Amino acid sequence: MKFFQATHTFDHSWAQVTAANWMKYPNEQCPHVVAVDVLERHVDPETGVLRTERLLTCNQNAPALVLKFLGGSTVSYVRETSELDPKTQKLTMKTQNLSMCNVLTINETITYTAHPHDESSTMFKQEAQIAAGSALSRFSSYIEDFCLTRFRDNAAVGRAGFEMVLEKLKHARQEATSQLEKATTSAVNAAAATAAL
Amino acid sequence: MSASVGEKCTKIKQEYDSCFNAWYSEKFLKGDATPQCDDLFFKYKECLMKTLEEKKLDVVLADARKDNPFPNASSSSSSSSASSTSSDSPKKD
Repeated sequence: MKFFQATHTFDHSWAQVTAANWMKYPNEQCPHVVAVDVLERHVDPETGVLRTERLLTCNQNAPALVLKFLGGSTVSYVRETSELDPKTQKLTMKTQNLSMCNVLTINETITYTAHPHDESSTMFKQEAQIAAGSALSRFSSYIEDFCLTRFRDNAAVGRAGFEMVLEKLKHARQEATSQLEKATTSAVNAAAATAAL
Repeated sequence: MSASVGEKCTKIKQEYDSCFNAWYSEKFLKGDATPQCDDLFFKYKECLMKTLEEKKLDVVLADARKDNPFPNASSSSSSSSASSTSSDSPKKD
């Protein structure tokens, strides 16, 4: 079993980061995620927590050795369950692979928490456990190392991709605000001109 | 917006996504959890369920839920998925 951990701070508010999280894909940095589906979703009537269950469809490249065990298929599925508490401003997402579980299990937990002292930034924490199954005991160390490296690369690329999504949304917001300001200014000018008549 | 695993579900899925994203930022984060996108979600889910069966993913998901259950909306009174507006769809749970 191998472990992976990473932390990061996004310079965007928790509201912005979590809104962007639902729009993370497609993103050009992560072309392997080809589909995202919502299986279930509800707000817990007692706690106000938003729970979501999603299915991610991935098209992964894998080494020949791994492909052998997959029967040549490169499509894999990941189930993600999340709990989002708007009161404590915490989003926890857990993912597990649904494909090739007998070969390899990857359990990942990601949290996005509002920064306690800076509401314009959000703390990100990612943890993963990677374990090769007994079917591969001879190769388990090779597989785990390969996956850990891949996971680390993907995590960095995924974060970069998410930063891009956040920036795009920020620009869209600024654009909308400036359009609104322009419209307001011209409306005010028009009103002033009318009033002046 | 991302595609659905079922090609034919992508359009309705993206309509649902748009509705949800607006609801999330404009309502939910401002303290209003009243459901707004249920009709779209039911239509999308109907399509999605068929695809999951076709791809035999329903069985895989059922197995995964045994180990790591996804809690039901514990009360039928209100939730974003328990519909208050949809008349043609049964409760989805």
